[in-house]
Amino acid sequence: MRTRRDAGDTLIEILCTIMIIGLTVGALLSSLGTVGRAGNAQRNSVRADSILRSYAEATKAGVKSCVQAVPPATYTVAYTPPAGYSPTVLPTGNMCPAPDAPRLLKLNVSGPLGLQASMQIKVGAP
Amino acid sequence: MSNPTAHVHRHKDSGAALVLAVGFMLMVGTISGGLAALATTSMNHRNTLTALRDREYAADGAIENAITQERLNTTCLATTRSITDSSLNSVTIRVDSLTTCDLVIDSNGNGYLQRNVTFSACVTGSPACPAGSAIIRAQVNFEPANGTVTDTYVQYWNVNK
Repeated sequence: MRTRRDAGDTLIEILCTIMIIGLTVGALLSSLGTVGRAGNAQRNSVRADSILRSYAEATKAGVKSCVQAVPPATYTVAYTPPAGYSPTVLPTGNMCPAPDAPRLLKLNVSGPLGLQASMQIKVGAP
Repeated sequence: MSNPTAHVHRHKDSGAALVLAVGFMLMVGTISGGLAALATTSMNHRNTLTALRDREYAADGAIENAITQERLNTTCLATTRSITDSSLNSVTIRVDSLTTCDLVIDSNGNGYLQRNVTFSACVTGSPACPAGSAIIRAQVNFEPANGTVTDTYVQYWNVNK
């Protein structure tokens, strides 16, 4: 025969179980969402880094084609970034470096969701 | 009257759902912890790779600077020099250079001195920059060795780490 105490215990137990499972599933979904967002940020960061390196190498290759002239000649950077990413260089103008002084350049890449990555390079006359 | 056997059976079952729920919670907690650790590790690796990239390009720039200085050198002396380059990407690099002078005979039978310089770039602070610990090691030949250098030849440019 089923007693009143047995029935009450089972109901509380089920309610507790549902609550615990609900909280746990909520936490799991939340952590999965966080990991997904972190993964996206990581992927964008890696891509920005790759673009920065490619842009730096394209800039160095462009400088190698410089010819010494007065006023200083300019060089061309042959690089097309993926959609959504925009590399820039400071100072602008792509002036060839003087033979006695390497030129300091600051490269910057801006990407989706306000992503920014930057790096300095020095380029010397060929 | 209650059946003693049924009562014992019910007693063994009671609390099983709660135990299962706690077990499930522990399992999900472990999975969540693992995912968080994975994300943290990825971010740490990302930062390490960014630091390595900054260091590599700082060394690259320091060697470019050293080549420019060496190009202005008007004498060929077999010597070892050390240059500390200004900070680039918040990394300060020292460049050690080893110069040798070789007599080269051109196709017309004329001889001239060629200055062969091996550059090794290391992070500042190391007492020396041996080949094994250099970030970049490069050999550049300058012709002619004395007076104004007209030609520069990069023989190799090795990025080690």
